[in-house]
Amino acid sequence: MDKKIKIGKISMLDMLKFKNLPSRRDKVISKAEPKDIKADFPINNNAKVLHPVIQKMVIENIIDHEKAGAKTFELKTQDGSPAAWFRAGQYVSIKMNIGESYVTRPYSVSSSPKLTNQGRLAITVKTTPGGFTSDHLIRNAKVGDQINISGAEGNFYYERLRDQRNVVAIAGGSGITPFLSMASAIRDGIEDFNLTILFGSRTEDSILFKAQLDAICKATDKVKVVHVLSDEQKDGYEHGFISADLIRKYAPEDFSLFVCGPEGLYRFMDGEVEKLGLPKRLVRKEILGVSRNVTAGEDFPKEALGKTFQVKVIQGPCEYDITAVSEENLLVAFERAGITAPSRCRSGECGWCRSKLLSGSVYVPQQNDGRRHMDKETNHIHPCASFPLSDIIVEVPRGDTAE
Amino acid sequence: MSLGYVKEYDVVVVGAGNAGLMAAVNLQKQGKRTLLVEQHNLPGGCASSFVRGRFEFDPSLHELSGIGSAESPGNVRMMFKDLGLDIGWKKVDDCFRAISTFSDGTPMDITVPSGREEFVRYMESQVPGCTERIERLFELFDEISEGLDFFSNKDKYDVKFAIKHFPNMLVVGSHNTKTVFKALRIPQKCIDILATYWSYLGVDLEHLSFLHYAVMLRSYLQEGAYIPTFTSHELSVALEDKFRELGGEIWFNCKAQSFLFEKDRVCGVRTAYGDVKCDFAVANINEDIVYGKMIPKEHVPLRMKLLSSARKQRFGARMFTVHIGLDATAEELGIKDYSIFMMGTADSAKEYKEMMKGFAQNPFSIFLCYNIANPSISPEGTSMCSFTTFCSPEDWDKLSSEDYHEFKTKCAEKLIKQLKDKTGIDLSGHIEEIIVATPWTFARYLGTPEGAVYGHETADWDDIISRTMQMNKDYPIKGLRPVGAGGPRGDGYSSAYMCGELGARMVMKDLQELKEAK
Repeated sequence: MDKKIKIGKISMLDMLKFKNLPSRRDKVISKAEPKDIKADFPINNNAKVLHPVIQKMVIENIIDHEKAGAKTFELKTQDGSPAAWFRAGQYVSIKMNIGESYVTRPYSVSSSPKLTNQGRLAITVKTTPGGFTSDHLIRNAKVGDQINISGAEGNFYYERLRDQRNVVAIAGGSGITPFLSMASAIRDGIEDFNLTILFGSRTEDSILFKAQLDAICKATDKVKVVHVLSDEQKDGYEHGFISADLIRKYAPEDFSLFVCGPEGLYRFMDGEVEKLGLPKRLVRKEILGVSRNVTAGEDFPKEALGKTFQVKVIQGPCEYDITAVSEENLLVAFERAGITAPSRCRSGECGWCRSKLLSGSVYVPQQNDGRRHMDKETNHIHPCASFPLSDIIVEVPRGDTAE
Repeated sequence: MSLGYVKEYDVVVVGAGNAGLMAAVNLQKQGKRTLLVEQHNLPGGCASSFVRGRFEFDPSLHELSGIGSAESPGNVRMMFKDLGLDIGWKKVDDCFRAISTFSDGTPMDITVPSGREEFVRYMESQVPGCTERIERLFELFDEISEGLDFFSNKDKYDVKFAIKHFPNMLVVGSHNTKTVFKALRIPQKCIDILATYWSYLGVDLEHLSFLHYAVMLRSYLQEGAYIPTFTSHELSVALEDKFRELGGEIWFNCKAQSFLFEKDRVCGVRTAYGDVKCDFAVANINEDIVYGKMIPKEHVPLRMKLLSSARKQRFGARMFTVHIGLDATAEELGIKDYSIFMMGTADSAKEYKEMMKGFAQNPFSIFLCYNIANPSISPEGTSMCSFTTFCSPEDWDKLSSEDYHEFKTKCAEKLIKQLKDKTGIDLSGHIEEIIVATPWTFARYLGTPEGAVYGHETADWDDIISRTMQMNKDYPIKGLRPVGAGGPRGDGYSSAYMCGELGARMVMKDLQELKEAK
C-alpha cells in the first residue's frame, strides 16, 4: 500500500493523540457528576398511555337493544383514570375468563373518543348463533362486573392522507358501531370529514342507535344517515339490500367507501363495489373474525372434516397437551383449554398471535392470510386464522396480562 | 436447579434485536444452552415488517453495508453465510440522489453512483481535477478498514505493529471528519457530496469520528448497498429459525424485568414467566435502561453512573417515518431513484441544528422507493415508498394522546408536499396505504429511551473508536454484557450484527475463564 498519503495540517503528534483516545474518554467520564441513572422518559410514557396492554374496566351501564338482539356495554376505567385515546373506528379486544376458558374478542368502540377523558368507552355486542362469548356477555354480564380490555387497535379509521373527504359508510346491523363512533367524533369536532351512512337493518324497530344517529345528524350537517330495511316496507326508508345503485344515489362526487357488517354483507358488497369501479385505495373493510363457514370453503381438505387432533402447545417454560378440532381455529382451541395466548383482531390480519408451527400442518383461509411473506415460507402461523389438519406442535408467545 | 428458578440455561439473551439475535445464534452454535427473551412478539426489533392490505412494509431498513457481492463478500454477508443462512440480497444500484445546497450557495441535485471507479469518475465530472485527491482518500479508507479489522480481532493494541502498517490511520484517528477532509485539502464541493451519508450515522461531520465515517462510506461506495428481498424481517426470521434449529429457546412477548445477582455476578434474569438462572446474561437493551432500571442500585458500578452522566442522555437519532403503498408504479409516478436525500444545506452541523429545532424547521428527509432496487417488493401495478427524518424529543415530549394524530399527520403532509416541491413527484391520488411512525411508535415497540434507535450518540469523545479501545472498562459487571446500537460498534444494522457477534465471543471467553477458575 502507498504509505505516502500527505496529510495537511494534521501532524505526527496526532499519533499520540490517537493513542490517548482512551484517556481522553476517561477524563470526560471521570469529570462527570455521579448520579442515579434516569430510565424514565416522557416519550415512552406517552406511548404507554396511548397503547396500554391491558385496561382494567368495569361495566357502568348496559343498554338493551332487545329488538336487535344486542346490548351496549358502557365501560369505565376501574380507577377512574382516562381510558386510552383511540381513532374513531378502532376496536378493543376484551379479555375474560368464562368457566375453564380464557376468551378474547375484538369489538369496535361505539362511543366518541371524547369520552376517554372521563375514563369511558362503549362496545356493542350482538347475539350470534353459536357465539360463545357474545352469548355469555348478553346473558350474564351485569353492571359492576370487571372486564379487561386492550388498548385501541386496528386500522379502520378515517385517514385524511389517503381517504377522500367524503366517506360513504355501508353498515349492516351491529356493523354500525365504528360509524357511530366516527359520527360522534365528527359532531365533537375530533374528526373532520363528510360521512354518509347507508345503514341496513331488518325492520324499523330493530335499527340500532336510531335516536342517537338522528341527534347527531341534527347537530352536524357533515353526517347523513340513510336507513335501508330488508324485511319490512315502510315509508321514509330505502328497501332491500345496499346496492351499487343505492350507493350512487346518495354518494357525493368523490368518495371513499367504508364497509362494516356481517359476513353476508361483505360477500354481497364485493360484487356491488366492482360495479362502482372504485380503485382498491378507496375501499376499506373492517373484518373482525374469521368466517364461521371456513370448512365449507372449496380448498379446505375434506378428509380433515370432523377430526380431532392432538396439539402440543409450548409457551415459554410451560407445555400443554390439548385437543383441537379441524372446524375451529387454533386460538379457540388454546382458549378452550384456558391458555392465555396473545390475541387482538382474530381475523388473521394483525399478527399479534404469530406463532411457530414446529410440526404438523394447518389450513389458512386465503382471505384471512395476513402473514408476512417470510412467515408463510417458514411455518409461522397466526393461530386465529389457522385450522389444524393433523396433530401439531406449536410454540406460542406469552399471553397479554396486566403488568 | 436452585429452588425458585423456573429454568436454567448457560446464557440468557434479553432482547431479540439484531445484536441479540446474532449473539444468541452464535452462543447456541458454540454449544451454550441459550434462552432468548423478547418483549415483543417478533424477532428483529427494528429489523421487521408489517402487513397492510396488499403491502408488506419494512419499518426501518434503507440499505445494508458490509454485504458486497457473492464473489467478494463483505463481513455481514459472511456472517450470515457462515451460519448457513441464504439471504436473497438485492443490490441497490446508485448510491443516492441528493437535493440540497452546496456550501457556496449554489443548488445541488446530484445522483451519485456506487462502485469505486464510477464514484471517482463522477467526482471528476463534478469537480474537475479532484481525481488524485479522491483516490488518495480511498487509499486512506482502505488502510483504515484494514487497520480496524486488525484491531477488532486483537485484545491489545500492538502500537509498533500499527505504526508500521497503519500509520495514516493513527494520524487521522483522533479527528473528526470535517477536520480530516480539510487537512486532506479535499475541495469543498467534494466534501459537500461526500457528506451526504452523515445522516445514516446520525452525527454531523464536526462531531463524527473520521474513522467511523471512513469505514461506512468505503463500504457503501465500494461494496455497494444491499437489501434483503423480503424486507428486513427476512433477516430476523432467518436468525430466529436458525437459533431454534440449533436448539435455542425463545420466549416471545415476555419482558425481562431485572437481572439477578449472586454476590457481584449476574446469576439470572427475572422474566414475566419467573426467574431464570444463567451463568451469563447478554442485554440487547440500551445501557441507560439496563443500569437505570434493571439492576439493583447497589450493583450499579460507579463507572456506568459516570458514563451515563457524561453522555447526558444524548441518545442517537429519533426517527419519524412515513410508509406508503401506492396504486401506481414508480415509473408512472416519475420515480427513478432508490433514495433521494433532501436537505436544506450540505453543511451537516448546520443541518443537524435545524433538525433539532423541531419539525416545522426541519428541512431534512430521505425519500425511498423500494421498487427501484427490488421491483417485486409490491404487487404489479403498485409501488412502495417511505420518508425518513430525524426529530427532536421536544416535539414529542409534551404532546397529548388527543393531539398526537393531528400532529403526526401534519408532519407527514409536510414531507409529501416537500417531495412534490423539490422533485415534482406527486403521490397524492395514489395513496392506498399510509402508516406514520413517530418516536412514540418506536418507544412502543422497542422500548428504547425516547424511542431512539441509534443508542447513545457516537460523537466526539464517545465515538466508536474510543469505545472500542475501552471495551474492557465499559463492561464492569461480571456475567453481564450489553450489546446493540449503544455498543462499541455504534448504530446501524451491520454494526449491531457485528456487536452481537463480538458480544458472543466475549461471553465465550468469559465462560471459559469461569470454568477454568472453578
